[in-house]
Amino acid sequence: MFKQLGIVGTGTMGIGIAQLAVLSKIDVQLYDVNDTLLRRSTVRINANLRKMVNLGKISQEEVQASMERIRTRTSLPDLGHCDFIIESANEDIRVKKDIFKHLDANTKSTAILASNTSSLSITSIGAHTRNPERIAGVHFFNPIETSVLVEVVKGYKTNNETIEKIIAFVNLLGKTPIIVKDTPGFIANRVSQPLFGEALRLLGENVADVEQIDHIVKIIGGIPAGPFESMDQIGIDTAFAEAQSLFEQSNGEPRLRPHPILKQMVESGWLGKKTNKGFFNYEETNAK
Amino acid sequence: MKTNKKTTPKVSKVNIKATKTTSRNANLKPTPVRIFITGESPMVEQYAELCAAHGYEAHISWNEKPAQKPEFKSDSIKISNIIPANTSLAIELTNIDLLAKKKNIKRFDETLADTAPILSSSITITATEQSTWILGKHRLVGIAVLPTLIQKPLIEVAPTIYSPKETLEVTKRFFQSIGKEIEIVQDRIGMVLPRMLCRIINEAAFAITEDVASPQDIDTALKLGVNFPLGPIEWAEQIGLKQVYAVLTALHTDLQEERYRVAPLLKQMAITRG
Repeated sequence: MFKQLGIVGTGTMGIGIAQLAVLSKIDVQLYDVNDTLLRRSTVRINANLRKMVNLGKISQEEVQASMERIRTRTSLPDLGHCDFIIESANEDIRVKKDIFKHLDANTKSTAILASNTSSLSITSIGAHTRNPERIAGVHFFNPIETSVLVEVVKGYKTNNETIEKIIAFVNLLGKTPIIVKDTPGFIANRVSQPLFGEALRLLGENVADVEQIDHIVKIIGGIPAGPFESMDQIGIDTAFAEAQSLFEQSNGEPRLRPHPILKQMVESGWLGKKTNKGFFNYEETNAK
Repeated sequence: MKTNKKTTPKVSKVNIKATKTTSRNANLKPTPVRIFITGESPMVEQYAELCAAHGYEAHISWNEKPAQKPEFKSDSIKISNIIPANTSLAIELTNIDLLAKKKNIKRFDETLADTAPILSSSITITATEQSTWILGKHRLVGIAVLPTLIQKPLIEVAPTIYSPKETLEVTKRFFQSIGKEIEIVQDRIGMVLPRMLCRIINEAAFAITEDVASPQDIDTALKLGVNFPLGPIEWAEQIGLKQVYAVLTALHTDLQEERYRVAPLLKQMAITRG
């Protein structure tokens, strides 16, 4: 099993993976571009672990031991000795390709390199590396503490050994891995996409309004959150970017075409909960 | 209830609430209200059980009898092709064989009293189009019915352009009497949840064809990754692939959009094993 895990990027997912790993007694080398970001992330991990102490999930000693397993780095070559590196940077193919080019040049050839991308092609990310067979996707879901699923994405050139090692790692973290082929949206996001796409079409065609559609999905469908409530929660700009990315990567597959309502909502600045207005209005709720 | 306009026949006298002991003679056992249910298995059986459990006398028949004769918990369910006298309400549950549906709806209209509403599944053909088959257009209301969704405490209802308020009021009271609230949506193919659900199942079928993941893993992914109560394959098995295929085909024909094209795998499975 991996002894040293490198994590590139300290956004919500990067921090979440680091936290899961140190709790599973794996040493973590945490990379970001500057010390300020790294300090902020270790403070967040520490705070999250302390919350777990308060909830009786872990002991005070485990917090200390976990924090001691984290080393922060601002230079990618410092991750050279890691057995396994997970990239969790922005969803920008150029940024990711650049990171993998550096990692490929500065790590031992036996190290596994994985991306936590939710929508970009693993084959494309690994296209210009020397050893694409060791590159795969490891897609964690948000919120990472409670979401059990991890999609392990096999690129065109990823070998079985890489997939097997990643699966063992995901199991060690207490998550459920499933192997998926490198296709746009992988599996969970792709197959659930019609829930959002059809919700927007039904709204556009005035078949029902947002409250009705969410209510029907929740009560008859048994899905805990309605599509409009979900889009407001994740941010309509994010939902639009994901839908657009899925559509572009599928080379314009008509089933995945984003609805114009999303674009208009983004252009109106109605981005969901974070702007107090999305498909629902949150101003009154916040004022209370 | 307001008096209806002269041109619209009344349906407000339907005694849907008769099963409840609301009369002055509360000690007397009320006569169960008689309803007639026909269409496709297993929706007919599922609706019969639900109605019987809420005090109705359900007379049922099928377009095609199920391979195994169903066993019912209630003796208020009677299998007969004859629509009995004093039937207060009829439910038509056909999504696949629309010729049989037309025959059923016409028979209801010719046999039932003018006050009896017809609640008809309208996810593969709109309620408005169905109402053109009959003279008593005022009494037909569309409902979204697929196997398994019947047990839920909410139902989508689609009035037609001919539905007076009275018909809707009776429909609402009927569903409340069997434990369901109603959500009134526009009369469109697929209505809301069946349209979404069938598209999700179709996308899963495309993904299986492309070998993106195994069917079991697809179910796991949707349940664990995006909190679906069932995976799309499990859903498809419960609903029945022939039903899913019928909804998608109707959507594709109606909307003429590539996005509703049925996955070849789904089509093959629907026509070979259902």
